[in-house]
Amino acid sequence: MGATTCFFSGVVSDDTQALARALRRRDPEVLDRLIEQYQYRLFRYLLYISGDRETAEDFFQETWVRVLDRGHQYDSRAKFDTWLFAIARHLVIDSQRRKKPQSFDALTDLDQKSPIDLVAVNSPSALDLITSREVELSIQERLGRLPAIYREVLVLRFQEDMALDEIATVVGAPVPTVKSRLYRGLQTLRELLRGGNP
Amino acid sequence: MNEDVHVRAERLILENHVEHISEHEREWLDRHLEACTDCDRVAGATEEAMRSLCAVSVPFPPSLASRAQLRVYLRIEELQRRGRHGWALWVSCGLSWGLGIASARYVWRGFEWAGDQIGIPNVVWQMGFALWWALPALVAAGILLIEKLREGWSETQ
Repeated sequence: MGATTCFFSGVVSDDTQALARALRRRDPEVLDRLIEQYQYRLFRYLLYISGDRETAEDFFQETWVRVLDRGHQYDSRAKFDTWLFAIARHLVIDSQRRKKPQSFDALTDLDQKSPIDLVAVNSPSALDLITSREVELSIQERLGRLPAIYREVLVLRFQEDMALDEIATVVGAPVPTVKSRLYRGLQTLRELLRGGNP
Repeated sequence: MNEDVHVRAERLILENHVEHISEHEREWLDRHLEACTDCDRVAGATEEAMRSLCAVSVPFPPSLASRAQLRVYLRIEELQRRGRHGWALWVSCGLSWGLGIASARYVWRGFEWAGDQIGIPNVVWQMGFALWWALPALVAAGILLIEKLREGWSETQ
């Protein structure tokens, strides 16, 4: 098991060419491992941009099917997570466009605020966690009031620790736009956490 | 204190989190924050916002990864099936085309003879021959088109 994990982490982090080859030949084992490795990060990102757990779960599965379908398009010079997140984002945008063809989607509409449902339906509620949980819920509720485009870049920058140019690749916007969204997002979040209206 | 100074301070506070600021700018900001309580409060609030953002945990649905893995397996099977199907289609197309070329001379004579027997104009039996020749390709193109449409339809669902 240890050897397999070491081999795999080598494939994913160091040898993107091997990963690209595996994706081209639709290697189920590599896909399995990728799902395990990126499950949390991908789900968190999808949850932040879609704002709903159930929708995020659907998108999560759909993203991996699309990774399988479009594996031949993966460029081994790029980082896998950047490509993965871009695929996930396109899925969400496509779906929003299909639902509301007459309007822009939440990720391109600066004023649209989509509430976010970060709380798990069956999350454990131990007594000693109640206080910190309440604080966290309050933060989550305020985060949910951030417009999706700001939430998205904040998550990519500060939770995913992505570089600005990587974020620009994921969101398909120039770096200066990403920076200004980050500034606006951080300012808005700060105001929200202070209890004011942005 | 000049208002521009506070604007600069706020810009640097944000830049410090989003990108990096130079050593010179950092020294200036530190000095300013020591002297200005309002800007120091803004810096504290920004720091707090960052901490809150990083502290939020998202519970991961326990069976989601295995559901995704299952869907990927099913899709791989579907693609393999489709690949085999496509391969068989091209082989049968190639075979029918090869047979068509090999038998073209005899079929042409057959059509000519039948046309004479029935007494129809030459152009009619010649069109019939052309249709017979093109039929396998038309059938294959039809099947591929239907599959493409079905694939596109299932992607939009």
